[in-house]
Amino acid sequence: MSETYDFLFKFLVIGNAGTGKSCLLHQFIEKRFKDDSNHTIGVEFGSKIINVVNKYVKLQIWDTAGQERFRSVTRSYYRGAAGALLVYDITSRETYNALTNWLTDARMLASQNIVIILCGNKKDLDADREVTFLEASRFAQENELMFLETSALTGENVEEAFIQCARKILNKIESGELDPERMGSGIQYGDAALRQLRSPRRGQAESAQECGC
Amino acid sequence: MARIENGRQSFDSRSMRTISSSHMDDESSVGSDSEINGFTSDRHTDKYGFIGGAQQYSEESAQDLPPEVLRQREVKWLDMLSNWDKWMAKRHSKVRLRCQKGIPPSLRGRAWLYLSGGKVKKEQNQGKFQELDSQAGDPKELDVIEKDLHRQFPFHEMFVSRGGHGQQDLFRVLKAYTVYRPEEGYCQAQAPIAAVLLMHMPAEDAFWGLVQICEKYLPGYYSAGLEAIQLDGEILFALMRRVSPLAYRHLEKHKMEPILYMTEWFMCAFSRTLPWASVLRVWDMFLCDGVKIIFRVGLVLLKCMLGTREKLKACQGQYETMALLRTIDPQYMTEGFLVREVLEVAVSERDIEREHHVQLKRWRKTHGELHHKCPPRMHGARAIMASEPHSRQDLRQNPTIVVPLLPPTPTFKLKEKKSKKKGSMKKSVIPNPYPLPGDPQPPLSEPSLSQLPLSQPPLYHPHLSQSPLSHPPLSHPPLSHPSLSHPLLNVPIDCSLPQQKALNDHVALNDHVSLNDHVALNDHVSLNDHVALNDQPVLNDQPVLNDQPALNDQPALNDQPALNDQPALNDQPALNDQPALNDQPALNDQPTLNDQLAVDVQCPLKVSPTQKSTQSLSSTEADQDTYL
Repeated sequence: MSETYDFLFKFLVIGNAGTGKSCLLHQFIEKRFKDDSNHTIGVEFGSKIINVVNKYVKLQIWDTAGQERFRSVTRSYYRGAAGALLVYDITSRETYNALTNWLTDARMLASQNIVIILCGNKKDLDADREVTFLEASRFAQENELMFLETSALTGENVEEAFIQCARKILNKIESGELDPERMGSGIQYGDAALRQLRSPRRGQAESAQECGC
Repeated sequence: MARIENGRQSFDSRSMRTISSSHMDDESSVGSDSEINGFTSDRHTDKYGFIGGAQQYSEESAQDLPPEVLRQREVKWLDMLSNWDKWMAKRHSKVRLRCQKGIPPSLRGRAWLYLSGGKVKKEQNQGKFQELDSQAGDPKELDVIEKDLHRQFPFHEMFVSRGGHGQQDLFRVLKAYTVYRPEEGYCQAQAPIAAVLLMHMPAEDAFWGLVQICEKYLPGYYSAGLEAIQLDGEILFALMRRVSPLAYRHLEKHKMEPILYMTEWFMCAFSRTLPWASVLRVWDMFLCDGVKIIFRVGLVLLKCMLGTREKLKACQGQYETMALLRTIDPQYMTEGFLVREVLEVAVSERDIEREHHVQLKRWRKTHGELHHKCPPRMHGARAIMASEPHSRQDLRQNPTIVVPLLPPTPTFKLKEKKSKKKGSMKKSVIPNPYPLPGDPQPPLSEPSLSQLPLSQPPLYHPHLSQSPLSHPPLSHPPLSHPSLSHPLLNVPIDCSLPQQKALNDHVALNDHVSLNDHVALNDHVSLNDHVALNDQPVLNDQPVLNDQPALNDQPALNDQPALNDQPALNDQPALNDQPALNDQPALNDQPTLNDQLAVDVQCPLKVSPTQKSTQSLSSTEADQDTYL
């Protein structure tokens, strides 16, 4: 494996059907809008290494099917996710109203400490907006979520969303709130981090883990 | 007719509106239809209708059959389809074998409809689809369906344009299902299934095909809770143990729940996974033999991808394994390889049922009773046929299939929806049990046909003009069939728009017997054949000179008649004296045939087709025959 990274985070992209989950993923990985995608049945993937606060973090992203009836199936993807993009469509109140259910699922099935960023996608369609920025940010606050409005079409805030989420996880690791060693944390050390761990000067992550105990 | 057209138009405009509104809120910025169309025209469309060879088209992935083999198979299939119940009852293994070899593209839609029992369902529920079609449907379901319309095979020419006829039909079929089974509703995985069907048949047929797949082949797959698919995942995993213990252990070790990797495979019957040539072959077998084919394909892919230690070394971890299974090595998915492997996997219906029993027990222990009771699964065409009593009438081909040997004669009364194919159905004139509103229409084409030089009789058979009647839901105003059926119609060859292409195909259809409008969409061979068609005058003028390129096209062009004539021809090459030929333009295929002798494999053909066909010979044909 030639890839070198400090951490590997498992990420989820969840939310109602047609909110643009796969397009967000595609925009993030390929930096391109995919206008001819199939809808997701089961799961799609992507992975990318990003640099956050001087750490290389590999994101392993699982993009799930949004339709309600797939929920029983997609639940098995949740296990051990460290972060999640919870996506709704700013032009569809229905997708916004479903957020609570998604949130419950994520917290229950992934891990209590999962870091979630709320993404109001299709920001470019402001004329058709049904959900205001204000109410969504209030919802985010109440539920301790980060919040961004994104556009998979223009790419606005897309990378930002993934990076913010990853940064928060790193912070939590450093503060000891998250323990990468714990099973199902959705976090793994990468090769780089392991080298650091083995070297005499121990890495930040290790010390963070120690104070966490 | 006009009334029907009006009805259609009003529907279309409505659905256009809804589609475009979803277009607005979904991905408004994608670009206009015209942009998309523009984009289409400058990229090559493969023979299945996929633009730019999307769906993994390559020379290697698809086998090309020599036209004469194809023609031969078409004849066999025509015979089976006109005597479907007999074949299914007495020679089912032969039907199966032929499904395994691949159904000829021109008859695929029709064959699928017969295999699935959709044909019987449709006949027994006349008018049902129209009724469902005219209902509004649950707005909530419609909303989800609309969001998916442009996401089904977006690179297929039929579905490429927003609000185009493909997307409209898809909407109608999916909506009709939610009205038909409101308690089931719409499942996103039904869309690709419906789309595959629509590539081969008109909306009404596709609807009944979808009904059969959802209720007989894969019951419960699309129901809320998706319990059936999860159960099948467990069954697949258990079968894996026997087929490839190595892969089994790997999946077990990495806690790969089957639904992680098999959901899309099974729910879409591999239509989004395999190269298109393989999808079609898998579906041919699946509709004949049922879900065991799906299991076997899954097992083959798993075995090929995870079956050796070297391969496993490279994918240590759940994500890596998943990623590997998402990017299956093309060599394992080529038509030839895959079909061969699938036939070799020793997994029978019984194995599946046994395992189903075991897994169901286990499920009850861990999850409790199933929430969704679904009907028992039918393992293939024969089981379905046995479970749904039908009358002979239900199997009647409808509209009449163009009979290979026969140039149109008065015996072909429009009202007898009778396939006269191959003499094996002797009791002729049975009145059409379902007379259709527009019956009086055909005179337009029929007499004119007889007045015309019969240079291409089988291609422009008057019976085509029936099709608007038998397919009231046809959604393509440009395809108004009367014009199509006109013998003088010059087939437009150089059309760039998908719709126009479809039009072309519709014509081609006749030629291939099936009147299903979309059938030919995937049968671009026939499209090309028309090129040859237009060369005909030349052929007539210089029968002997038949230039080779035209020759190659010919078998496709002249289809059955040529085929049937061939044995005789080949036996007596001397036959092809020109004077006689020139007198009978209908015969103008023959020189070609003779020229081809050296190359032609179809000659080994048993003489029987000729013999059989003589039973139903019309006068012209009799002439031909004596002549031969």
